[in-house]
Amino acid sequence: MEGLIDQIPCGFLSFADDGQILRVNPRLMERLGYQREEVEGRPFESLMNVGSRIFYQTHLFPLIAMRGRADEIFLLLRASNGEDVGFLLNAVRRERDGRTVNDCALMPVEERRKFEDALVRAKKAAEAAQEELEEANRRYEEQAVELELQQEELQTQRTIAEDANQAKSKFLAVMSHELRTPLNAIGGYTQLIEMGVHGPVTEEQRTALDRIRRSQLHLLRLINDVLNLSRIEAGRVDYNITDVALEEVLKTVLPMVEPQLAAKGITSRTVMDQAPIVRTDREKLEQITLNLLTNAAKFTPVGGSVTVRVRRCADVEDRVCLEVEDTGIGIPPEMQKDIFEPFVQVSADNRSEGSGLGLAISRELARGMDADLTVKSVAGQGSVFTVLLPVR
Amino acid sequence: MTDIIRRNNVKVVGKGTQPMLLAHGFGCDQNMWRFIVPAFSDDFRIVLFDYVGSGKSDLGAYDAERYSKLDGYAQDILDICHALDLRDTVFVGHSVSSMIGILAAKREPDLFERMILIGPSPRYVNDPPYVGGFERKDIEGLLETMEKNYIGWANFLGPVVMQNPDRPELTAELTESFCSTDPVIARRFAEATFLADNRSDLAGLKVPALILQCADDLIAPRAVGDFVHHSLAQSTFQQMKATGHCPHLSHPDETIQLMREYLQAPVPA
Repeated sequence: MEGLIDQIPCGFLSFADDGQILRVNPRLMERLGYQREEVEGRPFESLMNVGSRIFYQTHLFPLIAMRGRADEIFLLLRASNGEDVGFLLNAVRRERDGRTVNDCALMPVEERRKFEDALVRAKKAAEAAQEELEEANRRYEEQAVELELQQEELQTQRTIAEDANQAKSKFLAVMSHELRTPLNAIGGYTQLIEMGVHGPVTEEQRTALDRIRRSQLHLLRLINDVLNLSRIEAGRVDYNITDVALEEVLKTVLPMVEPQLAAKGITSRTVMDQAPIVRTDREKLEQITLNLLTNAAKFTPVGGSVTVRVRRCADVEDRVCLEVEDTGIGIPPEMQKDIFEPFVQVSADNRSEGSGLGLAISRELARGMDADLTVKSVAGQGSVFTVLLPVR
Repeated sequence: MTDIIRRNNVKVVGKGTQPMLLAHGFGCDQNMWRFIVPAFSDDFRIVLFDYVGSGKSDLGAYDAERYSKLDGYAQDILDICHALDLRDTVFVGHSVSSMIGILAAKREPDLFERMILIGPSPRYVNDPPYVGGFERKDIEGLLETMEKNYIGWANFLGPVVMQNPDRPELTAELTESFCSTDPVIARRFAEATFLADNRSDLAGLKVPALILQCADDLIAPRAVGDFVHHSLAQSTFQQMKATGHCPHLSHPDETIQLMREYLQAPVPA
């Protein structure tokens, strides 16, 4: 039997409970590069690398002592050349020659170890990737929370802005009213002087009074527009929606702009392929239409043309389009969305002729009664303003 | 109370009245006291347990945050003392349980009469001029060896165990192999043990303690035992003939004899 241990194709080592190596076989010594005499009598753990020594003391020895055996334990033994060699160890604890001994079979696992090392590395990489993923997740969650906060902040600011806008509209309404009273007085007294109530008026004085009167009227119009817009924005406009025949609206409005058109030699025509009834506030629609026609007359050069067209909207269901088309100066593309903003005018030259509030008021009014006002235009060729009206 | 009993797999044996609480070390469970228990079961009420994460404890009670520090393990000790209403307890701690016991006794000194510390170390990694016995890379070597030994379990059986609570035999097999059912928990326990620095916790311990110092103990060398002895005011130092780090397993007779001598003497003032 003794000879067998020296010949088996694996390492053999026997140690006592105090750790002392009692017996090794040549196969093990060959792999580790020691002589048998060098190691017998030494503590088993002195053959291990330090990590394995701790493992031996904390895991392996208690395991053998408690269970009487250990199976497939991986240990790194240190060879005489300093190299760490991996072994799988099986151990049994038994009584021999009147003492407790621990017999170990040790199988070098160099090739398998490479795979296991690769496995451990792969596992670590996977764990690191998972941690990274979790970290990214945490970051996204934090960002989501932040976004929510920002949204709340935005909502708050929107409320503040809306409140401010309301306050502005209210302020403008009050101010406009206060301004109109003295302006009306200026207009009235100018008229009285012009009529000669306070004595004869010279030609120079009449010219001056005429200028005062025109300026007073311009200012009054401007203030009325501001007042209107602020009323609309403050939601203080009532809409009286009824069935309205568009034909009737045009009959009322067109004669009002005829003198202006005639003065500039502008030809006008009306194209109506049917006579639709729409749901709208007639007075407001007349106001919008008049505004569009006045603009067309204003911005179309001498000898141009203005066309009023009524038709079913092609791309919007249950809508009638009321179009006012001119051959005027047109609106550059970059300005087309701004012209509905208050105080915006296309041509700086025409600043004195209007308040710049007409289109803003018209669109606000249109939107206030479930209609809309849009524009299509080519600079230098003309514009088409379209009122989209709900059909009955 | 039953929660703690089940959680820590608490077992009470013996005919005595004074409690003796036996706390296992890292890598083991209460079975490691099997040669010691018979010698004291006539005179003491012996309390055995497994730390949460070790042996047959309730893995469901494992809290990674709590058990990332030895303080979390000390809480296990205090929980058991309160659950069983233990007074004047003789605390016996092996290896890392020495420090865990000291942390518990610092928090509630009145629960303990005296302590027996087998192979204590407040810090395993050298911090010149302090000699703990290891370099950081040695601890990493241990973690690597553990990983290699858990590799089969961790990578193949481990997930199977987690996903098959209805197959307890898998868990049992793992438990009996390494006294720990979960390689991740074992790794954290190793880190909490070997990377801790509890030197400053030694001062001010009010409970008398016996230090059992093995010969040629790689885990807790003589210099560390001396350090503990000098830092603990009411400590008794006993050099053993036993070699290694587990004298209660390798040299139970000497261990029992030294414990008995200490316990038969009056409580040191």
